[in-house]
Amino acid sequence: MTSQLLYLIAAAQEEHAAGPASPFEVNFGLFFWTWFVFVALFFALKWFAWPAILRATEERERKIKAQLEDAERMNTEARAALEEHKKLLAGAKGEAHAILNEAKAVAQKEREALLARARQEQDQVLERAKREIGAERERAVRELRREAVDLSLAAASKLVEERLDDDANRRLVTEYLSTLGKGR
Amino acid sequence: MTQAPNIGEVVMHHTADAYAIGIDPFFSISWHRWPDVHLGPLTVNLTPTKHVIFLIIAAVLVFLTMWIAGRKLERQRAGERAPRGFANAIEAMVLFVRDDIAIANIGHGGEKFAPYIMALFFFILYSNLLGLVPHGSTPTGNVAVTGALAITAFLTIEISGFRALGPRGYLRTIFPRAPGLSGAGALAMSIAMGPIEILGKFVKPFALAVRLFGNMTAGHFVILSLFGLIFLFGHLEVWNWGIGFVTAGLVLGIMLLELFVAFLQAYVFALLTSVFIGLMQHEH
Repeated sequence: MTSQLLYLIAAAQEEHAAGPASPFEVNFGLFFWTWFVFVALFFALKWFAWPAILRATEERERKIKAQLEDAERMNTEARAALEEHKKLLAGAKGEAHAILNEAKAVAQKEREALLARARQEQDQVLERAKREIGAERERAVRELRREAVDLSLAAASKLVEERLDDDANRRLVTEYLSTLGKGR
Repeated sequence: MTQAPNIGEVVMHHTADAYAIGIDPFFSISWHRWPDVHLGPLTVNLTPTKHVIFLIIAAVLVFLTMWIAGRKLERQRAGERAPRGFANAIEAMVLFVRDDIAIANIGHGGEKFAPYIMALFFFILYSNLLGLVPHGSTPTGNVAVTGALAITAFLTIEISGFRALGPRGYLRTIFPRAPGLSGAGALAMSIAMGPIEILGKFVKPFALAVRLFGNMTAGHFVILSLFGLIFLFGHLEVWNWGIGFVTAGLVLGIMLLELFVAFLQAYVFALLTSVFIGLMQHEH
């Protein structure tokens, strides 16, 4: 049965003896047919089939691409903002530091000034005290001198009044002077 | 018992092109060759053959598949329904070809070439599969068909490369820079590489054409040769049933392999074309 079928095939093929005898014969006409069919298929698919099939995917791709670009842009912006904040923070820190330093310097200067003034005042007070003491002593000495002069004068006047002799005078003065020494 | 036919001749006839089509032996349409056409020095015969008919059938089937899938997908999307069924399977396959064959291997700018690679893949796949259909014929088992497809690949590779690289860049693909050399040595090396590079440009599509043709033809040779076992050993009275079953089993195995090879060779053709396009696009 099978062999009969194959015989029939062979018989049928013999009718078209014009065809090539094996697949290794190259028929150049087929190049043109293949190109024609393939190019027609290519454009038919490109115009009528691929857009419908790929629309969703291409839209998704476009969306993802846009989102990626957005993310990229946002990332860049965020990074720039961070950089700026860092810069600001660093600036603020520096400023704070400067202020603190300045305050410290001012305080130091103030303290030094205060100390200097205190020292100066102290010196002044001391000076004044010294001066007053000096003046007081001088006054005392002056007073003492005046007193001594007065006393001497009084003694002298007494002496003169009494007209005493030399011995008597000397004794008198000596006595007086000894009283002076006690009196002090 | 009739005499067994000449198996070798049957194999050659079966895989060869013909000016006839039909479901042998029930009906058959045959036609006569048209007169030859002279294109300059080339003499071609533009008579449509059996393979041309199957090429057209493959193209129509590819188009119908994609068109119907596209329409269904659009309707599903419009109805906000989850993608499912045939259309979704086709979408997955198309996306595989687009993303994992074309764009993945061409690289940056691969979307431009995706329609070409997709058309190539499905056209070759359907042509391959038509050979597995009973009474079908494999147009890609014809070296002229695979040659023509390889020439489209060649033109796409070279023209797109020329457009991407410019005249100077394109010349660099023929006379490459010799790394590590300078002066006269580099020049001599570049010029020496010229013929090799030019040969390489032609060898790539040639290999594409021969690989596809060989794979498609060889499978049919093997299947028909295995069937020949029946005629060689079928006359052994006791064993004839056994021979029949063993042969059928072997043929079934080869058929399954052929099914795989049909997909594989379409994949390989599309993949290598993409890789070659990518190589040219990014040759710097």
